[in-house]
Amino acid sequence: MDTTQLLKGVLDLAVLAVVADEDGYGYDVVRRLRSAGIEEVGDASVYGTLRRLYSSGALTSYVVPSDEGPHRKYYGINAQGRAMLEAQRKDWQEFAGTMARLLGTETVR
Amino acid sequence: MSVLADTAGLDVVGYAAAVRRSLVGLSQDQVDDLTDGLEADLADALADERHVAHGRELVEQFGAPEAYAAELRAAAGLPAAGDARARRPLDPVRRSREVGTRVLGRLRAQAWWPPAEAFLVSLRPVWWVFRAWLVLQLATAWVLGDRRMSWLPNAFAEWVVLGGLVVLSVQWGRGVWFQSRSTRWLPVLANVVVVLALLPVLATMSHRSSQVEDVYRAWAAGAFNGGVQTVYQDKPVDGVVVDGIQVSNLFVYDAQGDPLQDVQIYDDRGLPVRTTFDDGYDQFWFPGSTEPWSFVPAADVGGQARWNVYPLRGAPTSQFEYDGGSPALQVGTSAGTPPWPFAKAPALVGRGTVPADPAEGTVSASGDQTAGATPTPSGTTGPTAGPTAAPTP
Repeated sequence: MDTTQLLKGVLDLAVLAVVADEDGYGYDVVRRLRSAGIEEVGDASVYGTLRRLYSSGALTSYVVPSDEGPHRKYYGINAQGRAMLEAQRKDWQEFAGTMARLLGTETVR
Repeated sequence: MSVLADTAGLDVVGYAAAVRRSLVGLSQDQVDDLTDGLEADLADALADERHVAHGRELVEQFGAPEAYAAELRAAAGLPAAGDARARRPLDPVRRSREVGTRVLGRLRAQAWWPPAEAFLVSLRPVWWVFRAWLVLQLATAWVLGDRRMSWLPNAFAEWVVLGGLVVLSVQWGRGVWFQSRSTRWLPVLANVVVVLALLPVLATMSHRSSQVEDVYRAWAAGAFNGGVQTVYQDKPVDGVVVDGIQVSNLFVYDAQGDPLQDVQIYDDRGLPVRTTFDDGYDQFWFPGSTEPWSFVPAADVGGQARWNVYPLRGAPTSQFEYDGGSPALQVGTSAGTPPWPFAKAPALVGRGTVPADPAEGTVSASGDQTAGATPTPSGTTGPTAGPTAAPTP
């Protein structure tokens, strides 16, 4: 199965996890996702997800001015975002366990 | 900075702009929200060494701007373009941009288009200079009136203004100036105005130029000399021209003012002086005539038709018939002399006594000049024809 299909469901979770780890701007988040192993995700999807999470109140954003280049819009997680992250983390682990049992494979941690 | 980074920089701007344009149906705020920092992120992606995109073309890496925009808005949870259109009508600017994008997309699918597009894109600086010139023309027309528009600036100040406008235009075209949102409207508005004014400006100036040419040509032809026009012809007119009008007949009077008939006239080279060249086919009108006349030639001893015998004789054209193609007088009619301008001309002083002698060379130079050298037997000394009477004291 194409991983992009799998990804659509959990991109929110992945983005929240990355931002919870450390505040980041658009491409920074993309880079970290890729280095974590999620190669397939498109930049536009990540940016749109960041936008949506921000609109729904799960993320905060602030602008950091820069001398060298353009200003950067950084995203950070807030309490609501952390709560969402926890809830989704639990959901994921339950789901992964269910799928593992269904497929007869070990759960990948 | 590497060359790649420079060209990539411009591409990023263009790509980002295309993405923004593809976000149809969204308010400007929403578009800005979604695409704020887009150029920076794209540039980062291109420059990132670890990222696969390094060195690759923008479109190759990110896909078509339209697809990028769709992915962006979908991930952001905003409705797709189709839904938005159903709810809110597009403003004309967005709609025309959409059409342009669609046309461009279809064109880009053609095999022959990319080189043509590359060529046109490389001509972009020409447009930058040209639109600066157009702005100058519009400004001249507005400030000084459209009579002062000229193809090249006349005064030094105009050259300076043109130079400044060119700098502004090029810097905007390169994406260096007018980038902030507060000033962006100015060059965009100017661009729109200039594109709309392109044809009118060119038409007006071309019209002015042709007007100037017409006036010059008329002046050269003498239209401004108080009505007298100098006509230059390649070949001199054959015939007799008096006061600008070619005459059809010559009327000869002798020294006493009496009319003469059948006078043969030759010029200084011995060639016959002719007034008509029509072999009798043409019709001629005289002042005061009710119908036109045609002329007949005289015949000489050798049987040649002679047209230098004046006054030319003829008859009203109605009395001619064209038998065998040549005009001939009808039976029963004969050629007559056309009406004389006057019955008697003023008599001359000191002439008309000695018959002309061709062998003598100068006939009239000697003797006849002084009155009294040779008395005139006819006795008329002036225009008045009456006998001279000696006044008695």
